[in-house]
Amino acid sequence: MIEISGLRKTFTGQDGAPVQALGGVDLTVRDDEFLTVLGPSGCGKTTMLKMIAGLQTWDAGEITVGGRPVRGPGPDRSMVFQNFALLPWATVLDNVAFGLRLKGVGKAERTERARDLIAKVGLAGFESKRPGELSGGMQQRVGIARALAVEPQVLLMDEPFGAVDEQTRRLLQEELLAIWEANRLTVVFITHSMEEAVLLGDRVVLMSARPGQIAEIVDVPLDRPRSSDVGGLERSREYVEITAHLWDRLRDMHEEHRAAPSEQAVR
Amino acid sequence: MSALAPPRARTAPRFEPRARRLPLGLVSLAAGAVLWEVVGRAAGVPFFPPLSEVVATLAAMTANGEILGNLLVSLGNLALGFAVSLAAGLVVGTAMGRYRRVKAALGVYVYALLTAPALVFAPIFFSVLGPGQSSIVAVVFMYSAFIMIVTTADAVEQVPAHLVEMARSYGANEWQLVTRVILPAASPTILAGVRLGMGRAVTGMINGEMFIAVTGLGRIVTQAGKSFDGAAVLAILLVVIAVALASVALVQFVDRRLTGWVPDTAKESR
Ligand SMILES: Nc1ncnc2c1ncn2[C@@H]1O[C@H](COP(=O)(O)OP(=O)(O)OP(=O)(O)O)[C@@H](O)[C@H]1O
Ligand SMILES: [Mg+2]
Repeated sequence: MIEISGLRKTFTGQDGAPVQALGGVDLTVRDDEFLTVLGPSGCGKTTMLKMIAGLQTWDAGEITVGGRPVRGPGPDRSMVFQNFALLPWATVLDNVAFGLRLKGVGKAERTERARDLIAKVGLAGFESKRPGELSGGMQQRVGIARALAVEPQVLLMDEPFGAVDEQTRRLLQEELLAIWEANRLTVVFITHSMEEAVLLGDRVVLMSARPGQIAEIVDVPLDRPRSSDVGGLERSREYVEITAHLWDRLRDMHEEHRAAPSEQAVR
Repeated sequence: MSALAPPRARTAPRFEPRARRLPLGLVSLAAGAVLWEVVGRAAGVPFFPPLSEVVATLAAMTANGEILGNLLVSLGNLALGFAVSLAAGLVVGTAMGRYRRVKAALGVYVYALLTAPALVFAPIFFSVLGPGQSSIVAVVFMYSAFIMIVTTADAVEQVPAHLVEMARSYGANEWQLVTRVILPAASPTILAGVRLGMGRAVTGMINGEMFIAVTGLGRIVTQAGKSFDGAAVLAILLVVIAVALASVALVQFVDRRLTGWVPDTAKESR
């Protein structure tokens, strides 16, 4: 369980002016929940995720994961990056085994676990390729395998499919669902896509911009497992209603934003 | 880059008749040799003998062991001086590139010594360390270390922040961060600096020996110059050039092994 309370952060922008990225965020993520986070650009989604990952400091508030306060990165959390962040000189196998190697897991064991996960994300046979030889979708499969290899309790994903094409994204969504359904863990998944947020999430957190705050949390009462019938699910009444509702809220936020141009300049 | 892109080593197909594919490097060398021979004969001055005479002198000096003995001494000076420079380049350069305070503290010295004419330090080394190997090694260091420090620092600074962040998220400590992520990521630029450093190290070796040493190629080239033996001077120069080319080729060999992963450059194969 992740508990976030009163989380605040103000950055100093390049011109010296303060940018309030998070203005008091309270959020509880349940064990083995798939939580998706949606919000306008610049509302502090990445900032919040990096804080959970222990990569970013904050000014006030508290984050605990499994009851332990976050003081830095830890083996219970791993992150999947939008730009993949693969080591370009290392093979797929070495990239996937990277976290295990840092932890000092022996070569035989980490190779076995890495191979296992490479197969799980559908990349068997590509073990000795380098990232430069892979498509974007394949690279993110490597990123996911690397994150799962360390057997985290929490998977933090920052727009993981934002940099791949539409068709690949749909495949990756289904694959991620299948992996998660077979092997549950807590996921915090940031996205710009309402459809993606609803398709994947148990709940969708809607954040508002400047300062970043939780605007609404929407339950997604769609049946699981979802990976087997994504098409049918997308035609269901609940799915259509929830995405429509999310878009209404987001559009309002964008309009408020347009009405306050001085704030826009801050970004 | 797509999966179909060929590895860097292979050149793109060129649609030319086979006969025209003479190695350009060899053609260029042959033309230079002919030019040297012709100009040398036409000029008829003692300090610019034709190539054939220089080669004959080189053969004689090789036969009597003069070249080999001094070459080995010089190579020893070069290897030691370059190794010390390389170690300093990597350690100091990485520290400067990674820690703002180190850069603030050392930057001014490094840039000053990078641009200072390195040979002015030779008399100092000579008076402090004497005429032995340590003086030559010190001169080689002054010639080659600073360019490697500066390029390593730049290379380290340019390592993408997202790779460092990724490694931190997996719990990397500072040592793992530097050795597993930063240095590999910076290696293409670092090796470009190492190549420059190697070229400068050869210059430092020969200049240092000319100034200080009692043995080595630099020493015998000075002697030949004093006795107005133009053919011997140029013969030794050929050996020095060979040393320079071989050492840079060695760096390039290492470079290719370490940085084969770098994606294709925009360089034309024309
Ligand atoms: N290191 C930083 N220094 C200064 N300002 C920052 C820094 N990181 C983020 N910010 C600012 O904080 C705000 C929130 O940034 P963040 O990246 O968390 O937004 P986001 O919701 O992830 O946006 P996007 O959807 O575009 O990815 C933005 O206004 C951003 O400019
Ligand atoms: Mg973001």
